[in-house]
Amino acid sequence: MTPILEVEQLSRRFGGLAAVNDVSFSLAEAEVLGVIGPNGAGKSTLINLITGHLKPTAGRVVIGGRDVTGARPWAIADAEVARTFQIVKPFRELNVRENVAIGAMFGPSRAGSTREANARADEVLERVGLAEKADAEPGGLNVADARRLELAKALAMRPRLLLLDEVMAGLRPREIEAALELIRSLKDEGMTILVVEHVMKAILSVSDTVLVMHEGEELVHGKPHEVMEDERVIEAYLGKRYAKRMRARREEAGGA
Amino acid sequence: MASVSSATAPAGVRAIGPRQLVLGGVLLAGLVVLALLPQYFLLSSEQRTMAGVFMFVALAQGWNLIGGFAGYPSFGNVVFFGLGGYTTAILMAKSGVAFWLALPAAAAVGVAFAVLMGLPVLRLRGHYFAIATLGVAEGVREVVVNLDGLTGGNSGITVPAVGAKAVTSYPGNTGFYFYFLALALLATGVVWLVSRSRFGYGLRAIAQDEEAAAAAGINTTRLKVAAFALSGLLTAMAGAMYAFQQVTIYPARLFSVDITVLMVVMAVIGGTGTVIGPVIGAVLLQFLSEWLRTNYTDLHTFIFGGIIIVAVVLLPMGIVSFARESWAHRRISLLDTIRAYRL
Repeated sequence: MTPILEVEQLSRRFGGLAAVNDVSFSLAEAEVLGVIGPNGAGKSTLINLITGHLKPTAGRVVIGGRDVTGARPWAIADAEVARTFQIVKPFRELNVRENVAIGAMFGPSRAGSTREANARADEVLERVGLAEKADAEPGGLNVADARRLELAKALAMRPRLLLLDEVMAGLRPREIEAALELIRSLKDEGMTILVVEHVMKAILSVSDTVLVMHEGEELVHGKPHEVMEDERVIEAYLGKRYAKRMRARREEAGGA
Repeated sequence: MASVSSATAPAGVRAIGPRQLVLGGVLLAGLVVLALLPQYFLLSSEQRTMAGVFMFVALAQGWNLIGGFAGYPSFGNVVFFGLGGYTTAILMAKSGVAFWLALPAAAAVGVAFAVLMGLPVLRLRGHYFAIATLGVAEGVREVVVNLDGLTGGNSGITVPAVGAKAVTSYPGNTGFYFYFLALALLATGVVWLVSRSRFGYGLRAIAQDEEAAAAAGINTTRLKVAAFALSGLLTAMAGAMYAFQQVTIYPARLFSVDITVLMVVMAVIGGTGTVIGPVIGAVLLQFLSEWLRTNYTDLHTFIFGGIIIVAVVLLPMGIVSFARESWAHRRISLLDTIRAYRL
């Protein structure tokens, strides 16, 4: 079976800085890939390269077997790909329902009419728990609701591949749990999901595999528990001294 | 089931309630009054003034599509006006083409030029877009001045309007009253349709966040160019009628920056991105301008400019949005809105 997403030796340089350098992976249907890494690791750039908001300097992006490297964002959306933005991007002069309806009006699974798009928007708002605020202005939403809106806009496009850029940042534990539950249920429906998070803990429980990025490159790619125990990951996140102390403590425990 | 039945319904169809009936009645009555005005109430010179008002309604609506809905503040829309006017004048004067054939030709030139100009220029945003459009309009004016074999250069071109050479008989002030009225209605109708359509939602999304719009699957290039083309179409038609009305046209008149500034100010003061705003702005400012011209001939421009500045400072959101806000809060919220816009 062809993978939903293949990323082959993808690179993007900004002048002398390699924001993403030689990253490769592939994602099968209904698979969830968690991408983690410290600030500036290239996580958002990776999403922007896949969705056509940035053009790669090298490498390929293949979606559903079709090479879409360098295609414009709306062409990527037509390949049934939806994304959220790390800094939420609501349409400020449209209300919450209309914001979501935009996603249902364009793209490959477009609704037949603006009215149908609004109806679909209401279904999605119900699902993300934002139904009561359908008539509100996006400017008045709190952090959690603004993130829900960002997610709803993407879901209204009925994507096969969903790219989430830090949708859980700034959320409280209970809200994170709800977001993880939603990701699990989307996966159960066969959606393929790439989740970028700064916070490692949230992501490990929903991801089939985890890609750890560091300074634009792949540091480790594996099962969540393997990644969590990998010394290079601990080092990248917490520094060399902490990693050494952890190793010493583990050896001590092993020796006893 | 519900989704199946609504999928077959045409876009944006809603039930007709009492509000729609009242609105429809008012519109119909207004149209009847406008149709009867020239015959029973207006002097010939007043009909000419009204024709000018209608023309600016059409121009402001044309600008509204690109500057209001799509959020691309064109400062060169007069280029379509000028090209439409010159296409008409040249076809009528040099090729003996009737006005009713020259008009669609002018419209086609407006659309074609908007597409050609839009593809590169609509890649720019904000100030850069404004400056580029201004530059294109000035550049085209220079080209028109220098192609004097075709355009008559600075001294212009005269449309044969009377006598044996007249290809279409001159309709006079009453005739142009109805020409421009029809164009204003067409332009407002187009904007109304756009405001309710998927196209209109797409343009508003582009205006508010182009990156998010593209991510939502909106082909931003295609929509922007389409909005610009529609804007060019309406503006070129206005130019075509204006050229015929004026009989003699020359570059300084047809490519005047004043015309661009007026259509922008009218749309902005009335309310950009709304259907009725540009109508209100064009009617108010055009009557005000005429009244000032008659009563304060010397200071006309000075006072007119001052009033525009005050209006834009006090009501940056436009009359329509201000009225909506006041109505929603059931009070005149001038101070609040000013505060909200941090003046």
